[in-house]
Amino acid sequence: MNIQMEKTQTEKNPTAQAPETMRPAMSPRYGITEDEHAYTVTAYVPGVSPADVETTIDGEKLVVHAHRNWTAPESWTPVHREIAQADYRLVLGLDRRVNRDGVKAQLTQGVLKLTLPKAEELKPRKIEIAG
Amino acid sequence: MNLLRYSPSRSYLPSFNHGSLLDELDRLFDAGFPSFREPARFGTFPVDVYHDQNSVTVRAELPGFRKEDLQANVADDVLTISGHVRTGNDQDQNAPKTETSIERSVALPENLDYQKIAAAYENGVLTITLPKREEAKPAAIAIEVK
Repeated sequence: MNIQMEKTQTEKNPTAQAPETMRPAMSPRYGITEDEHAYTVTAYVPGVSPADVETTIDGEKLVVHAHRNWTAPESWTPVHREIAQADYRLVLGLDRRVNRDGVKAQLTQGVLKLTLPKAEELKPRKIEIAG
Repeated sequence: MNLLRYSPSRSYLPSFNHGSLLDELDRLFDAGFPSFREPARFGTFPVDVYHDQNSVTVRAELPGFRKEDLQANVADDVLTISGHVRTGNDQDQNAPKTETSIERSVALPENLDYQKIAAAYENGVLTITLPKREEAKPAAIAIEVK
């Protein structure tokens, strides 16, 4: 089955969304797998501690905002920089296939795992023949 | 004979010396357009290098590794960080299982104390602290007035 949880356009109107911080945000690398019970979203958000991840479901959207809280001490002089200094923001569209009440998030060493259980009515079932 | 300085064939070796213009352009593109990069666990990984009075600190973004799959070595003033990547999982027997390593090297200044290197792995970021040798730290010189 082709998963159609498409990434929706996020920052079309940044002022209307009024994010709590004005820090730039980038989309993390992520992938989606599914089994018979749930979809699993795996997103790489290195540099983020569990307390700094905010996952919200807003109507048809699942929004993950992961805040990078680390800043170099002032006495440190950067010699070479590659690590982005942006927060992570991932917006996924949800449809009726996902049971919103059972969404779980887990963060281990910079890997965020979101478990989106499938809605009960979508799971395979046996239909008994009446009478 | 071992007269040639170790220089890995990677396109970019972060260094205290300035890289070539081409390397700098590569770096600019990597930093400006992160989506051009390879996926975090397959290919390369971003590295930051800082220094202060007392030490040099190297940070590397390596999300989702187990402690035993990460390695850091120093040889000939080059720090090499490597991560062992296993794909495939236990639940899905049919998923292809592959094992590979990703690696970056950082050229270091010569005044570090390699006996006191500290490494920590937190939130998917490996931080390696390499203290400067005592004699390399700036010291005030008392001037005697005659």
